[in-house]
Amino acid sequence: MSIGASLRTDPKRELWFVWYSTVAFYSLYSVVFFVLTRTQPPGRPWLTPEQTVGWFADRHWGLLVGFALIFVLGGFSATSIALITYSIRRMSVSRAYAYSYLILYAIAAIPGFLFICVAMTVGAMRPERDPTLMHWLYDFGFLSFSGTMGVFLVGSLIWMAAILLDKNGVFPRWFGYLNLCNALTEVVIAPSWIFQRGVLAWNGVIAWWIDVAVFGMYTVVFIYLLRSLIQRDDLGTGPVPALPPGAAPRAHPLAKVLAG
Amino acid sequence: MTAIEDVSTEAGVDVVGHVPGEGDMWFFVVFESLVFTSYFCVYLYYRAQHEHAFLKAQSALNLPLGIVETILLLTSSWAIARCVQEVRAARYRSAQRFVLATVGLGVAFLGCKLAEWVRLIGEGHTFTSSEFMQHFFFLTGMHAIHLLIGFVVLGVILYQLAPQRRSHQTIETCSTYWHTVDLFWVLIFALLYIVR
Amino acid sequence: MDGSRVSRSGERAIFWTLPAVAVVWIAAFFLFPGFVPPMSPKASAAEVAAFYRDHLSRVRYSMILFNWFCVALIPILMLLVERMRGMAHRTPVLRYCVIGVAGAAPIAFLTSTVFWLIAAFRPERSPALTQMCNDLAWITFTCGVPFLIALCVFVAVAIAYDDQPRPVFPRWVARFNLVIAIALVPACFAGLTLDGPFAWNGFVSFWVKNVAIAVWIVVMAVVLRQAMDREPVVVGAAA
Repeated sequence: MSIGASLRTDPKRELWFVWYSTVAFYSLYSVVFFVLTRTQPPGRPWLTPEQTVGWFADRHWGLLVGFALIFVLGGFSATSIALITYSIRRMSVSRAYAYSYLILYAIAAIPGFLFICVAMTVGAMRPERDPTLMHWLYDFGFLSFSGTMGVFLVGSLIWMAAILLDKNGVFPRWFGYLNLCNALTEVVIAPSWIFQRGVLAWNGVIAWWIDVAVFGMYTVVFIYLLRSLIQRDDLGTGPVPALPPGAAPRAHPLAKVLAG
Repeated sequence: MTAIEDVSTEAGVDVVGHVPGEGDMWFFVVFESLVFTSYFCVYLYYRAQHEHAFLKAQSALNLPLGIVETILLLTSSWAIARCVQEVRAARYRSAQRFVLATVGLGVAFLGCKLAEWVRLIGEGHTFTSSEFMQHFFFLTGMHAIHLLIGFVVLGVILYQLAPQRRSHQTIETCSTYWHTVDLFWVLIFALLYIVR
Repeated sequence: MDGSRVSRSGERAIFWTLPAVAVVWIAAFFLFPGFVPPMSPKASAAEVAAFYRDHLSRVRYSMILFNWFCVALIPILMLLVERMRGMAHRTPVLRYCVIGVAGAAPIAFLTSTVFWLIAAFRPERSPALTQMCNDLAWITFTCGVPFLIALCVFVAVAIAYDDQPRPVFPRWVARFNLVIAIALVPACFAGLTLDGPFAWNGFVSFWVKNVAIAVWIVVMAVVLRQAMDREPVVVGAAA
C-alpha cells in the first residue's frame, strides 16, 4: 500500500491531524509572542504612561501583524484541548472529567489570548492615543494574559485527578503529579495582580521566568506523551497497550543491569 | 524494611531494590524540590542585595514560634513513618491512629502559621510592606498550600486503610509526599528564620 | 454507540429556533446605527462621542439584543456535533474540536457587545475613553474570528474524513467551509489600517466577513436539515 493510501485509511488520522495542529499551533504561538510581538518576556509593569506609548511605538508593526496571525489561527488551540479531552475519555474514569476539561479550556481561550490580542492591537492602532489610556491597555493586555489563572489551575487539577485514578494506563503517573506542579504555577502568578515590581510582578523572576520554565517543560512533555498515546492507542475502551500495535517488545534498558 | 515479597506483586514497583512508594512520586519530589530551590536562590540573591533591609524585617519574626512549628511538623513526619511501619506489619488499626495523629499535628502547624500571619499583619508587616515580607509570605504561603494538599493526601491514606483496599504502595507514596512537605518547611525555617 | 441509538427527540425544536434568531440578529444589525454604513476607524474622538450621543437608544437596544442572543447559535452548533456522531470517525476528537470553538466564538461576540454598551453607558464620558471603548468593540468584533475560522476547518476535515458510502454531509460542504474560512481571514488584519478595504469598515473586513458568516449560517442550516431528515439511515461507526 502506498504511503498516501495508508494515510488516507489510517484509522488514527484524525488523532494525527489534531496532534500536528497542536504542535503547529504552539510553535506559531511561541514565535508570535516571543519574536514577532515581543510581548513575552512581558513589558515592565512599572513603566509610566509616556513610556508605554514608547513601548507600543517600538513594537508597532510586530504587534499588529503578530496578533493578526493569532486572530487567524488562534482557534486551533481547540485541537490540543480536543486531544487532551480524548485522552481523558480514553481513561477508565467518568466522562465528567473529560467534559469538565473541555469546557474549562474552551472558555480559557478568551482571556487566554483573545484579550491580549485585542488590547495590544487597539493600543498599537492609534499611536497618538492619550498616554493614560495606552497605559490602561498595556495593563489590560498583560494582566488578562498572565492573570487568568483559575481555568488552568482547576483544569490541571482535573487532568491530574483523572490520570491518578485511571486504570487504563493512558499516561504515566509522574505526569499526573506534573499536572500538580503546573497547577501550582497558577498560584504563583496570582501575586502579579498585587505587585508592580519585584520578583512577583507579572515579569518577575518567580512569577514569570520560573513559572514559564515549568509551564514550558509541562507543555513539551504533554505534547510528547500525547504522541505516545496515539501511537499505542488501540482505539478501544480498555487498558492502553504499552506498545503500538504490531511493534516488537523492547527489553527494558536496565534489564541487563538488574539481571546481571 | 519490608520483605521484597510483600510488594513485588504490586504493579509498577521495581522488583529489584525497594523504592518506598511509586517511583513517580519521587519524580514529583525531585521536580518540586528544584522549583523550591529556585525560589530559595532568588530569595538569597535579593537578600544579598539588600541585606540590611532584610535583616530589619526579619527581626519581626518570632523564632520560638518557628521552632514550635518545626517540631510539630517533624513529629508529624515521625507519625506518618510509624503509620507506614504499622501498615507493613498489617496493624491497620494502629496505622489509622498514627495517620490521625499526623493530621492533628498538621492542623496544629497550620493553626500556628495562621496565628503568626495574623500577628504579623496586625503589626503592619504585610505581603506588600517590605521585600523580605514579600518573600516570607510567598514561601510560607506556597508551603501552606502544599500542606493543604498534604491533608488531601492523608485523606487518601485513610481511605486506603479500609479493609477492601490497603494498597501498601499507595500509602507509602502518600507518606513520601508528606515527608517532602516537612522537608520544605525545614528548609524555609532555616532560610527565613535562622539565617541572619 | 452509533447514531441511530442516540435520542433525536427535541432536535427539530432547536432547529426551528434558528429562523427566530436570524430575525433578531438581522433586526439588531440594522438597528445598530454603526453597521449600515459601518463606522469609520478614522473618526476622531469627538466624532465618536457625538455618534454615541446622537444615537444612544439605537446603540443600546441593538447591543442588548445581540448580547441576549449571541449565544443562540450554540444549540444549532450542537445539532451539527450530533450529526458528526454519524460520521465514519474512530474517535470523538473532531467533535471535541467543534465543541471547543463553539463555546469560545459567541463569547468573543459577547465581549464586543459589552464594549459597545460600555461606550454607550455614559455619553458624557471623555471622548478619548469613548473612542477607546469603541475601538475595543470594533477590533473584538472584526478580528475576533479565530474560532469561526477554526470551526470551518474542523467541519471541512470532519467531512473529508467521513469515508462511508452515504456520508453525513455532501463533499461540497467541506469545500464550502474552506472557502468561508478563507473569506474570514482578511478581517483579522483590520488593526493594521484605518482606511481602505481592510479597515474594520472596509469592504473586505466588514462586508465580506459578515456576509460570509451569514451565508455559512444559511447553507449549514440547509444541509443540517437535510442530514437530520436523512437519519436514521446513518451507518457511521462513531466512537
